[in-house]
Amino acid sequence: MKPLAAFLKKEYIEAARTGKIMVLVLLFVLFGIMNPAIAKLTPWMLEILSESLEESGFAVTNVQVDALTSWTQFFKNIPMALIAFVLLFSDSFTKEYRSGTLLLVLTKGLTRYKVVLAKAVLLLSLWTLGYGLCFCITYGYTAYFWDNSIAHHLFSAVGMWWLLGTWVICLTVLFSSLLENNTGVTLCTAGIVALAYLWSFIPKAKAYSPAMLMNAGSLLSGMEVVEAYTRAALVAAVSAVMMVGVSVWNMNKRQV
Amino acid sequence: MDILTIENLQKSFGEKEVLRGLNLSVPEHSIFGFIGRNGAGKTTTMKAILGLLKPDSGQISVIGENVHFGQTRTNRYIGYLPDVPEFYPFMTALEYLRFSGEISGMEKADLRARSEELLELVGLGQERHRIKGFSRGMKQRLGIAQALLNRPKLLICDEPTSALDPVGRKEILDILLAARAQTTILFSTHILSDVERICSEAAFLNDGKVAMQGTIAELRGMRPSDGFLIETERKEDADMLRRAFGDGKAAENNTVVLHGSTEQFYDIMRFVAENRIPVQRMERMEPTLESLFLEVTA
Repeated sequence: MKPLAAFLKKEYIEAARTGKIMVLVLLFVLFGIMNPAIAKLTPWMLEILSESLEESGFAVTNVQVDALTSWTQFFKNIPMALIAFVLLFSDSFTKEYRSGTLLLVLTKGLTRYKVVLAKAVLLLSLWTLGYGLCFCITYGYTAYFWDNSIAHHLFSAVGMWWLLGTWVICLTVLFSSLLENNTGVTLCTAGIVALAYLWSFIPKAKAYSPAMLMNAGSLLSGMEVVEAYTRAALVAAVSAVMMVGVSVWNMNKRQV
Repeated sequence: MDILTIENLQKSFGEKEVLRGLNLSVPEHSIFGFIGRNGAGKTTTMKAILGLLKPDSGQISVIGENVHFGQTRTNRYIGYLPDVPEFYPFMTALEYLRFSGEISGMEKADLRARSEELLELVGLGQERHRIKGFSRGMKQRLGIAQALLNRPKLLICDEPTSALDPVGRKEILDILLAARAQTTILFSTHILSDVERICSEAAFLNDGKVAMQGTIAELRGMRPSDGFLIETERKEDADMLRRAFGDGKAAENNTVVLHGSTEQFYDIMRFVAENRIPVQRMERMEPTLESLFLEVTA
């Protein structure tokens, strides 16, 4: 276990010293604060805009904001945070192939699956940390201003979205084990997400598409049941584990 | 005992056949020069020894154990210095060695002592900056330190001196000479003066095969002496020698190069003595590695 721990430690030191952890924390904290802030400011903004809106024929009545407004913002903004996360870490593997740093590590006797495992652990732990941070901040402010209890299945919905992020990150791991450059990794990941999105429009099969998890925010209104997402969640979880497995297999065959 | 043997190694990249049945054996405690032109297949051979490339056919064994592609246990005997070693730029030299040692499973106390000892050996003992700012020579020296870290039985260096200035080259060669006591060194190069300076044995690689292998003396002995060089004090004497033994043309200066057998050399000495020609120097020209190399790779 010592070599794995050493490589994992190197991954965290790298993320910290290259400033990636800093960027990540800033990003997720910012999103976390923005969600309730936008909700809180909505009535005020509408008031300012009301005059010009009235001129164009819109009638502005008193807008009611509550915890749901804040959580709607959360689910609207988190895709952007995920995209930023993927872009930020898309070169985690490819940078090592390109520069040749992996060559020395492998000839020192590090077994190849440990490279995949350490990088997957780093990415997923940082995603969980950032996502958790964003969630906690939104939760705190929302609880302070309004009442979180009106949001139905809040933890299930947030969990589903975390799983979606995990699935997307496992896609980047998979493509990183196959491709040479990070543009390819990002494009292929985006391509598969787009396919999954199209899949989620096919009436009979959509319940199985991991992209269904993007809609998990609609659980909060209480109009939907958690069971509507279990099949998509299962597919996402199983395929995420499989993708890491296939990445190990690719890595073992790779000529460096 | 041979520390490394390669039998009938073949490797193609697409249409291009790089190695066509390469055979090589490296004896223990030698500094083995692996000589070939750019693109001759030196790096490919070295990567195959490390299990980083999958050969099309052939066998490689290190200390009697076969090398397998991918996960090879033989790498625990090997230290490797690539042609352009790349390290994590955000670490310091000491941090990098500690990381390398942990990866290869060294004991903590041993690792600390060994890291400091090696950094001292390669002249980076006082270096506290991150690798990001290192020059090429410094990276090469750190490369040797990491390669020697877990006391390898075989040190493989891929053109360690090619990219360096004369001072940097001398430093690397001195470090390799100092490392000889602990390990066998296989080092690829196309700089023949480096081979002549430090190697005990060498092999010439040409057209994907080993064209010649042996100790430096054996290699030189594979070709008869090139001839004799005689430098006289006066130009007229050089002309006279040339008329008597050479091609009959007038010499350009007071040095003549004459070709012929050893018998002829005695005749020339007799001629010099009989005519009382004052001689500055007289030497038998040794075939150089360079002339051998050019002949082999022609």
